[in-house]
Amino acid sequence: MTVNILSVLGQMAFLLLMAPLVNGVIKKAKALTQCRRGPGILQSYFDIVKFLRRDPVVSVQTSWITLLTPLVCLGAYLAAGSIIPLWDHRGIVFGDLIAFTYLFALARFFLGLAGLEPGSAFGGMGASREMMIATLVEPVMVLGLFGLVLTAGSTDLGALAGAGWNPAGALSFIGLMIVTVAETGRIPVDNPDTHLELTMVHEAMLLEYAGRQLGFLHWAAMLKQLVLLALLVHLFWPQPTGIPVAAALGLIAAKVTALGLGLALTESVLAKMRLFRLPELMAGGAAFCLLAVLSNSIM
Amino acid sequence: MAELSLIEELRSRSDWEVLADDNLPGKQAARVKVPADKLPEAASLLTGRGAFLLTMAGVDRRPVDGCFAVYPVFANPKDGLIIEIEAVISPDRPVYPALTPVVPSAHWLEREIKDLLGITPVGHPDPRRLALHPDWPTDVHPLRKDFDAGAVVPRVSGEMEFCPVEGEGIYHIPVGPVHAGIIEPGHFRFSAFGEDVIDLQAQLFYTHRGVEKAAESKDFNHAVLVAERICGACSVSHAVSFAQAVESLAGVEIPAAASYTRSILLEMERLYNHVGDIGNMSAGIGFAYVVSRGAILKERLLRMNMRLAGHRYLRGMVIPGGVRAGVKNLPEIIAGLNGLESDLGELTEVMLSSHSLLDRMETTGVLPLQAALDLGAVGPAARASGVDRDLRRDLPHAAYGDLEFNVPVQQQGDVLRRLKQRIDECRESFGILRQAAQKLSRGMLAVKIPDLPPYRTSVGCTESARGANVHWIMSGPGNTIYRYMVRSASHCNWPVVPICLPGNIVPDFPLINKSFELCYACLDR
Repeated sequence: MTVNILSVLGQMAFLLLMAPLVNGVIKKAKALTQCRRGPGILQSYFDIVKFLRRDPVVSVQTSWITLLTPLVCLGAYLAAGSIIPLWDHRGIVFGDLIAFTYLFALARFFLGLAGLEPGSAFGGMGASREMMIATLVEPVMVLGLFGLVLTAGSTDLGALAGAGWNPAGALSFIGLMIVTVAETGRIPVDNPDTHLELTMVHEAMLLEYAGRQLGFLHWAAMLKQLVLLALLVHLFWPQPTGIPVAAALGLIAAKVTALGLGLALTESVLAKMRLFRLPELMAGGAAFCLLAVLSNSIM
Repeated sequence: MAELSLIEELRSRSDWEVLADDNLPGKQAARVKVPADKLPEAASLLTGRGAFLLTMAGVDRRPVDGCFAVYPVFANPKDGLIIEIEAVISPDRPVYPALTPVVPSAHWLEREIKDLLGITPVGHPDPRRLALHPDWPTDVHPLRKDFDAGAVVPRVSGEMEFCPVEGEGIYHIPVGPVHAGIIEPGHFRFSAFGEDVIDLQAQLFYTHRGVEKAAESKDFNHAVLVAERICGACSVSHAVSFAQAVESLAGVEIPAAASYTRSILLEMERLYNHVGDIGNMSAGIGFAYVVSRGAILKERLLRMNMRLAGHRYLRGMVIPGGVRAGVKNLPEIIAGLNGLESDLGELTEVMLSSHSLLDRMETTGVLPLQAALDLGAVGPAARASGVDRDLRRDLPHAAYGDLEFNVPVQQQGDVLRRLKQRIDECRESFGILRQAAQKLSRGMLAVKIPDLPPYRTSVGCTESARGANVHWIMSGPGNTIYRYMVRSASHCNWPVVPICLPGNIVPDFPLINKSFELCYACLDR
């Protein structure tokens, strides 16, 4: 067990440190497709350090929810990330696919509350939109993941390694990629770079945050992105077994970055969708996942 | 000749005094003095014949002849007829029957006259304040002559007046005046049901600079610099409008070289605005690729401006009587424009073939034709809704009378049509620039303006990238400005934006707002 705990802690540290880099690479790629030079790929680290060194400003109207939410989010995504066996396939100390899904829901629940709490118009608006999107995304995510569970016969993420490496998996992959776009707040669902308050979803809930707490929330968002990409890699792009840990990590990093570049590219060629078109997008994702489940049960 | 009979009809009223006037621009011009209580009658007579309200100024003439006066100015686009009505108002009881019930496009103008001059339009459907905010004392009217422009006005407390929207499930979203992005201040209050906008009310005029007051008693040569600085993105248009008003007042014609130069400058200004807006509209839908390509094209145009006139925003070129200097490097600029036109064509092709862009823009933020006509919308926003009105053609100024161009018009009036309108207008602008470059000959660039007759009025108007910029002036003694009234395109179009909102959803507001691309500085003059 000791080894496992150490490897879990190591994996958490790896994810925490890696997340800003992946975000930086995506930002850089986006800038290049837009004929801009863009910030350096390390900029996200500097941003986080900058925020963490600043004291937060907290509204007197708020309670412990506002104070706790940044840590709950960071913790939930970290825990979810540690369930994915990045290099150690023997199974992890706790959790499976269902825990993974609901750790995300926990973070979202707190973020929604924190958006509502200061009583600003934008926070409430962002929270309501986030919840609307969540009700659409969650079923698709569960459906997509359970299609794979049917193949592997287990909800344990260790057993699911590479479970999507088959024709039916390609369908789940498309569905889960749409989920990833929605969950990471990217175009066409949300625009992470906007300054237009009225169009914001995720950013609107963060508007009242400042300083260290904002830094944690930004870090949590990057972590969420990395964890989702790592999950996709783990499920659909299996690692070769028996390679040293360092090589496995390098490979993971490369694959995650490749997927991130795909995100950056779609973000550059698409405009944001009208809010009430999202159900159609998610219905498309659900259709792919459903087909995956069906083709599993037929074959 | 229905238009001639219009003047005859005005003449037939026994208590109205009609004077033919050379100090006003337009092929024909007339000045009509009517008693204040006959203002709505005169206005509805004119609008009934197809004339529209260009501008409306109130003047504190008490130091001169002891009374107030209001001057609504109408234009009839069919024959370039300009008619200025003058109504004298008693200083003891400064009221007059409001024009707004018969000419809805006067609504903001009259509220401004009430705020700034304390002349009350009786029967105005919306008696709330407009230009002055609740913290301004109600009995202080800054455009009155006895108000000292340097005075510090003690602020009072007051609540903003909004018409409440009430009902189960209705909530209010206050936005601004400080925004998350670096943009100018404006407070918007949405009443929404879920994401559906029921109503939008805006409080603007946060950075009113008192430009009109500042221009008073300045020499007209000095005041053109003030005019140029009303707005960064319409510098040329404002300066030309002002210069034209002065030239009409002095009764001078500017040399051909100067009018062609002005047309070139005006078109370059339109181009960089339109190209910038074409790209920037996509910022409202997060289409970053298009935004940055548009920004690159706009930057290329600004650099061309620098080569052409020595200033990226073309300032310092226009003076009353002509232009200060000729344009430079014209062949090089025209060659550059050819390249830019094809690059713009590529960009707009990408945009108009992008399904995700079309999906967001089509049917979004529709401005109905009737609303555009009633509220006096101008510029590409009005033409996208089917208002066939362009002052370059209807009241030819600069060299536009000798240049060939079309006035594109769309019908549906949604965001996509406002985008297409700008694309079409860019094409015409490239054509105008090529013609003007060919026809521009060497010659005198400016004529001297003789002494201005005091206490006479005139109006100058240009079609800017956003629509008509109308400058009305009254001269004072010694070549000074006695009263200066600027009606900018944004002043006409701001009241129109809230009309387009109901039926759309809250997150579409930035896109709709960007499709009008209105200017705060043009309001806060």
